[in-house]
Amino acid sequence: MVIAPLSRKVLRDLWRLRAQVLAIALVLAAGVATAILGSGAQDSLTQTRDRYYAQNRFADVFADLTRAPLALLPEAEALDGVLSAEARIVKTARPELPGAAPATLMMVSLPGTGGLNLLHLRQGRLPDPQSDREVVLSEEFAAAHRLSPGAPLSLVMNGRRMEVTVTGTAISPEFIYALGPGEMMPDPARFGIAWMPRAPLAAAWDLDGAFSNLVLRLAPGASAERVIEALDPLLARYGGTGAIARRDQTSHAFLDAELTQLGAMARVLPPIFLAVAAMLVHITMSRLVALEREQIGLLKAIGYSRRAIAWHYLEFVLLIAVLGIALGFAAGAWLGAGMARLYAEFFSFPYLVFSRSPAIYGLAALVALAAATGGALQAALKVSALPPAVAMAPPAPPAYRRSLGALSDRLALPQSLRMVTRHLLHWPLRTAAAILGLAMAVAILVASLWTFGSLEQLIAVTFHLGERQDVRVAFAAAEPPAALQEIRRLPGVMAAEPWRSIAARLENGPHAKRVAVEGRPAGPQLSRVLSPDLEPMAMPERGLILSEALADALDLRRGDLVTVAFLEGRRNEATLPVSGISVGYVGLGASMELDALNRAAGDGDRISGAALLVDPAAMDEFLAAARAAPGTGTIAVKNLVLARFRATLAENITVMVSVYVGLAAIIAAGVVYNFARIALSEQGRELASLRVLGFTNAEVSAMLFAELGLVTLAAQPLGWLIGHGMAAAMAASFASDLYRVPFLVGRDVYATASLAVCAAAILSALAIAGRIRRLDIVGVLKTRE
Amino acid sequence: MGESGGSIIRTAGLGKTYRSGALEVQALRGVDFAAAPGEFVVILGPSGSGKSTFLNLLGGLDTASAGKAWFREQELTGLSERGLTLYRRNHVGFVFQFYNLVPSLTAVENVALVTEIARAPMRPDEALDLVGLSARRDHFPAQLSGGEQQRVAIARAIAKRPSLLFCDEPTGALDSATGVRVLEALTEVNRATGATTLVITHNAAIREIAGRTLRFADGQIVEETLNPRRKAPSEVSW
Repeated sequence: MVIAPLSRKVLRDLWRLRAQVLAIALVLAAGVATAILGSGAQDSLTQTRDRYYAQNRFADVFADLTRAPLALLPEAEALDGVLSAEARIVKTARPELPGAAPATLMMVSLPGTGGLNLLHLRQGRLPDPQSDREVVLSEEFAAAHRLSPGAPLSLVMNGRRMEVTVTGTAISPEFIYALGPGEMMPDPARFGIAWMPRAPLAAAWDLDGAFSNLVLRLAPGASAERVIEALDPLLARYGGTGAIARRDQTSHAFLDAELTQLGAMARVLPPIFLAVAAMLVHITMSRLVALEREQIGLLKAIGYSRRAIAWHYLEFVLLIAVLGIALGFAAGAWLGAGMARLYAEFFSFPYLVFSRSPAIYGLAALVALAAATGGALQAALKVSALPPAVAMAPPAPPAYRRSLGALSDRLALPQSLRMVTRHLLHWPLRTAAAILGLAMAVAILVASLWTFGSLEQLIAVTFHLGERQDVRVAFAAAEPPAALQEIRRLPGVMAAEPWRSIAARLENGPHAKRVAVEGRPAGPQLSRVLSPDLEPMAMPERGLILSEALADALDLRRGDLVTVAFLEGRRNEATLPVSGISVGYVGLGASMELDALNRAAGDGDRISGAALLVDPAAMDEFLAAARAAPGTGTIAVKNLVLARFRATLAENITVMVSVYVGLAAIIAAGVVYNFARIALSEQGRELASLRVLGFTNAEVSAMLFAELGLVTLAAQPLGWLIGHGMAAAMAASFASDLYRVPFLVGRDVYATASLAVCAAAILSALAIAGRIRRLDIVGVLKTRE
Repeated sequence: MGESGGSIIRTAGLGKTYRSGALEVQALRGVDFAAAPGEFVVILGPSGSGKSTFLNLLGGLDTASAGKAWFREQELTGLSERGLTLYRRNHVGFVFQFYNLVPSLTAVENVALVTEIARAPMRPDEALDLVGLSARRDHFPAQLSGGEQQRVAIARAIAKRPSLLFCDEPTGALDSATGVRVLEALTEVNRATGATTLVITHNAAIREIAGRTLRFADGQIVEETLNPRRKAPSEVSW
C-alpha cells in the first residue's frame, strides 16, 4: 500500500508532537470514559435490578400490621389493580452469637409457591416446609458470622430461645440494601435476614392463622397510590401502620438514590472534559497551522486543493480523536465493569447484566469527534482560505499594543513582566480558554472534596451534638414507663432517657408523609433535637418539631397546623401546631414531648425504648444483661454504628475522590502542558535571543513560567466559584427522604483543590523546563521564524 | 600564551568539530587571533568558512573542541555554562542578521530589557539617541522598518556599555541605503563607546570602513589586511 505523502506527513506530525497529542487524547479519553463509565454502570445496574426484580417477583406494595386473619388475604387480592398478594410474618429476633456486639435478625416467613419476593439461593438448600427448626440466612450475615449450611444457631424469638439449623444462604430483591433498625449504613455483621417456614414463626409470635405483613404485586400500569388508598382502611383495624409503595421501600429507595447519582456523574463530567479537549485541539491546531503556513502556501502553489489541505489538518485531529476515543473506550469499559462489579457486590445482586450498549459508545465517540473537529474547524478553514502567495510569505509580525498603556511605565514594571502580560493579552481567547480549563480542574476537585467536610459535619451534628447516648435500646413492643426503671438497673447504666416512637401519617393539604413521630422528655439530655443553629431544642408542650427535610416535603413552616394520623394503637387523629424546625440529615424527623405524644396517640403512658449512657468499662456486661432481658428488641451501640458509617463512607468516598483527583490532574496537566508548549513554540526564538543577550536559563524559564503562573492563578477563584456551584447542585441532587448532606465548603477544600491543581501545573511546567534548557541559541540567530 | 599583551580578546589554536553520527565536520581549525581595545574588525568569507562559528565561540555561545580563548585575563574556554552566560551579560553585545527583537516590547523597552540586568548601563534613551531612533522609542518592532529594527538591536547591544560588540551579518537583510545607516550607527558606537567591534559580512564593500579585515576559508584565517585609511560608511555602497 502506498501512503500518500500528506498522510505520511500526518503520521510524522503526530509522532513529532506526541506529548501534546497524548495530553489532548487523555483529556478526550477522560470525557469518553466518564460518559461510558457513568451511563454504562447506571445502565448495567438498572438492567440487573430490573431483571432481578422481575425474575424474583419483587412486590410493589408493602404493609406492616399487628395481626390480621389470613381470611383478609382474598379481600386484599380482590382490590382493583392487585395481581397477587402474599401474607407474611415479619418479626425481629435476636441471634445468640459469640462476641459482644448485638445483632438483629429479621425473621421473614418463606414465600410460598408462586409467592412474592422470591429468594435467590446462594448456598445449601431452602428449609423443609414441614420443619420448624430450619432457617436460611441472608448471605452476607451468614458470611460475617461464618455460618455455613449445617451450622447450628440459637435464636431468641419473642423472648423464647430456639435452636435452629442453617440450611443455606440466600439473597432477596427485598433486601438488596439491608438496613437494620436505627442504622445509617448496612452492616452485615449486625443485621441480617432469616427466612423460615411460616409455622414456627406463627407459633413464636402467636400468629396462627394470621399474618403481620402483606406484600402486593400490582397489575402493569396500576397506581400504587390508589391501591394503598384502598388497602389502608382494610388493614387499619388490624394495626396496619400504612402501606408503602416500592418507591419508599428502604432497599429500593437507597438503590435508586445511588443510581441517580451515577447518572448525574454521567451527565456533568463528560461535557467538561470534551469542552476542555475541544479548546486544547483549537489552540494546538491554530499554532500548528501558523507554523506550517509556508508549507501550506507551497502545497497550494503546487496544486493541492483547498479541500485536500483542510482535510490534511482535519485528519491530524481525527487521529487524535480516534486515539482519545480508543483510550476512553478501554478505560470506560474497564472502569465501568469494575464499578458495576463493585456496586453489584455492595448490593449483593445475584448476577450482573453487563450492559455494553453500543448506543452509549457510539454517542460518546460521536460527541468526542465533534468536540475535536469543532476545535480544529476554524484553524482548518483559515488554512484553506489563504491564497498561496500570501501563505508562502512569512506572516506579518504580531502587532502588540501597549495594553496597560502608561501604567506599566508608572509601575516601573520590569520588561520581562511586560512581555508576559502582553503575550497573555495578545491572545485573549487562548488565555481565557486556558484559564477556564484550569478552573474546571479546580472545580472538579472542589465539587468532590467538599463531601469530606460535609460528612464530618453530618457526623458531628448527628452523633456528637444530637445523639449523645452510648446505646439505644428498643423494646420489642411499647412498655409502661416502669420499664425504664428495669433498664436503669442494668449493669453499667449511668443515665437513661425514655423515648417513644409511633408510626404516623402527617398531612398538610395535598402533601403527606409517613414517618415515625418520636417522643422525648421536655428537656432531653441524651437524644437531642437541634435547631438550625445547632442549639439543643426543648420539646414543646403540645406541638411538633419537624426536621427541615420533612417541613420542606410537607410545605410547612413554624406556626402552621399539621394533621397527624397515628397508625398504631388507637389510631387517633390530631391537628397539631408546628412548634419548631430542626436540623436532621438522616431520614425525616418529627419530634414531640413524650407525654404530649402519648396524650395525642391516646393509648396511655408508654415508652418504646431508652437512650442510655453506659460506663465503657461495663459495656460487655451491660450488653449481655440487656440481651438477656425479656423485653429487649434491638440494641444499637453508637460507636459501632458510627464506625460502620465511617468505614462504608471511607470506602465509597475514597474511590470516588481518587477518580476525581485523577481526572482533574489530567485536565490540569493537559491544559498547562499544551499551553506551555505553544507558548514555548511561539516565544522560543525570543527566549533563545534573551539567552544570547546574557539572560540566565533560570531568568528565561521564569518568564515562561510566570505566564503559566498567572494563568494558573487567575483560574483559582473562577474554579472555586464553579466548584461551589457544582457542589451546591450535588448537595441538592443528593437530598432525598433518606438523607441529605449539610452543604458547606470549607476553606481547606478550596486550598486543597488549588494546591492539587497547582502541583499538576508545576509538574507539567517542569516537563517543559528541559526544552527551555535545550533552546538552540546559535540556530536562532541565523533563521527567521 | 598566558599574558594578554594589550589585547582584549585572544585565541590560540581555537578549533571546533561538529559531530553528527559518523560524520565529522571541522568548522574551525586552529585559529590564532587577537584584537586590541576599540578595534573595528571585519570578517569576510564564503558560507561555511567558519566565521560564524568563530564569532559564536568568541561570544560564548558555543564551546570549543580544541584550543583556547581569553577575554582579558579570563580563559573563556574554561568557563561553565553559567560563567559564559555572565560573560555575555556583562561584556558582550550582539547584533544579528534578523534583529531578534522581542515583538511584544517597544523599542525603548527592548533596550531596557538589557539595561535592567546590566552592571553600569547607559539609559535606554541615551542608547536609542546614539543610533538616531529617539523619535521611534515607543514603537513596537512590527511598526518599524528593517533598518530601524536593526538600529534598535544595536542600541540594545551597546546600552550595557559592552567591551565587545559582535555583529553577524548586520546588513544581510537590508538594502544598500538602509545598510549604510546601520553601518553608520555601528561606527559611531565603536567610536563613542570604544567597544571592540567584530562584524561578519558577505559584503566585501564593508571592509573599507574597518581598521582590519580577516578572510576566512575552510575554517582558517587565510588573509589578514590592515586598512590604514578607514572610509566613512557614507562613502561605500553595494
